[in-house]
Amino acid sequence: MTVTLVKTPAETAYTDAFDPQGALADVRKSAFAQFAATGLPHRRMEDWKWTDLRQLMSSPLPPVSGTTASADTIDALISASPFGDVARARMVFVDGVYDADRSSLPATGDMEFASLGSDDLPDWVSDKLVAGSTDPIAALNLAYMSDGAGLRVKAGSGMDAPIELLFVTTAEQAATYTTRNVIVLEEGSSATLIETHIGGTGEYVHNAVTQLHIADNARLDRVKVQEEGLEAIHLSNTDVHLAESAHLKDFTLTIGGRATRQQGFINFAGEHAEGHVSGAFLLTGKQHNDTRLVIDHAVPNCLSRELFKCVMDEAARGVFQGKAIVRRDAQKTDGNQSSHALLLSDEAEFDAKPELEIYADDVVCGHGATSGDLDENQMFYLRARGITETEAKSMLIGAFAAEAFDDVESDAIREVLGGLAEGWLARRKAG
Amino acid sequence: MLEIKNLHVSLEEEDKQIIKGLDLTINAGEVNAIMGPNGSGKSTLSYVLAGRPGYEVTEGSITYKGQDLLEMEIDERAAAGVFLAFQYPIEIPGVATMQFLKVALNAQRKARGEGEMTTPDFMRLVRGKAEQLNVTTDMLKRPVNVGFSGGEKKRAEILQMAVLEPGLCVLDETDSGLDIDALRVVAEGVNALRSPDRGMLVITHYQRLLDYIVPDRVHVMSDGKIVKSGGKELALELEKDGYAAFAA
Repeated sequence: MTVTLVKTPAETAYTDAFDPQGALADVRKSAFAQFAATGLPHRRMEDWKWTDLRQLMSSPLPPVSGTTASADTIDALISASPFGDVARARMVFVDGVYDADRSSLPATGDMEFASLGSDDLPDWVSDKLVAGSTDPIAALNLAYMSDGAGLRVKAGSGMDAPIELLFVTTAEQAATYTTRNVIVLEEGSSATLIETHIGGTGEYVHNAVTQLHIADNARLDRVKVQEEGLEAIHLSNTDVHLAESAHLKDFTLTIGGRATRQQGFINFAGEHAEGHVSGAFLLTGKQHNDTRLVIDHAVPNCLSRELFKCVMDEAARGVFQGKAIVRRDAQKTDGNQSSHALLLSDEAEFDAKPELEIYADDVVCGHGATSGDLDENQMFYLRARGITETEAKSMLIGAFAAEAFDDVESDAIREVLGGLAEGWLARRKAG
Repeated sequence: MLEIKNLHVSLEEEDKQIIKGLDLTINAGEVNAIMGPNGSGKSTLSYVLAGRPGYEVTEGSITYKGQDLLEMEIDERAAAGVFLAFQYPIEIPGVATMQFLKVALNAQRKARGEGEMTTPDFMRLVRGKAEQLNVTTDMLKRPVNVGFSGGEKKRAEILQMAVLEPGLCVLDETDSGLDIDALRVVAEGVNALRSPDRGMLVITHYQRLLDYIVPDRVHVMSDGKIVKSGGKELALELEKDGYAAFAA
């Protein structure tokens, strides 16, 4: 019996548009072959059972790059970034293409910037662009990636003033925008990186990959804020390599997007490394956020922490899939993950799927998941002090989400995150 | 100031009557104490005054300063001046005590049509009162009641009362879980709030608290009713003879 794979219109659009050129053509071809082997992920694939892309992407959303929007539209979206006053350097990407005029890069010898859309990529970027991801969406990204940020922080340099990578999608075309960042922290360096995604109203897909290569004794604090348009599909993959004594703090706040699938692959390749991955979702309407983390402890003496606080209102749906692999040699691994959901309506839904695969015997690993609505006793206590029901709810929701912000090192960034949560709560009250 | 007439209260979920025809009047300037054995309905009375969900008033009325209290929302009662000091104050992770106090005070002021208090004025107000109650700056920065000892929780309750300046203070078993030193600090805080235009209802199982907060009237509650009322000497009698004589 032969099985014929019936391509969806979206898959057909991806296939028809494929015509790789330039230095990366071969890499793109292998990546596309990997994607084509499975096509768009669907619910019969275990890791994707909550997020069926074949169904979600019901119309063709061909890959494009470059904008058709007016300067006013673009500038309005750029000014919507909450980090305007916090970021000390900024690379702006509009509809998948680097916009040098709207970016501001510091003149410093401590770091090097690159645009991945350039024909002449430095080796420290091109060396990292290798086909081989087992994830079909990450493979599709490499096949079609139009641009993105390259950032190299040189050995021993400390760059703690936040650098923002701002991705603006105007949504003027129903299309797929594909970006990829390659961030390299050399030995003993440090940086604070903000990744902001902002989009207009209209259907589009943003397929975004960020590769983080953190060398020995280097330290990265990364904060991602996702405020895509409310008809957008945001597909993201963060691929992390932690060398010896490397340190990562990674926080994501998700407010936007009709459907979001974000994946994080954290690979511990050197001993005594630490990875803290946290996040908060604030979802309403029919928003969908499926977060999947795969933490791979391949070496001994590393620490991993995951904390996700998920607020779902109306008919929103959240999913947290946390997988931790502790390989046979990874003794003395200290790993812990937890996800907590706050369901503000009877229609809201949250699914948590922890998976531990532990092959070493001397480890401390745990997971926990909770899900519930607002605490009646806390509500009564606040109201008994004169706080209105609406205000009391906002206080408790804000406090719930804020626990995940505590991991963010920068006070200024934490304040921005608090403001974003307050804005969400205020819109909720008004609505 | 507060008039409770023929109050009957049942639990909503299990059709069980807790208060069975209670009458009580509290005048401004008076401290009234309600004493009674466990299960007599003392705490239920305090919750019904504050408006806690889960209780159904099947008969009777409660008027506070001429207003029908039972028709008012929980926060409306608070803004009108009814304050319940909880027997078990609730922990609220993620909300700093200082912020909570400020939001509460300004919510009440707004409900009464008064302007918001500015942050410097508010800080001065709280710092002064906190010092009297031995509430440290560190406690004010910490989340509401989280990690507070029993004594700290009760002092924080009285601080809230002092900042919010209610017309009617209902203290539910404020002495529970306190050692004698903590009891003294709390009682001093309460006594400092005694005033001719404020009424107080002190609910307690033991006479001990009433050595420090001396009541004008003492009422004995048993099986959902006030069964005896008298002056402060009634508390001493109860201490001596116990509640057996009032058992249902």
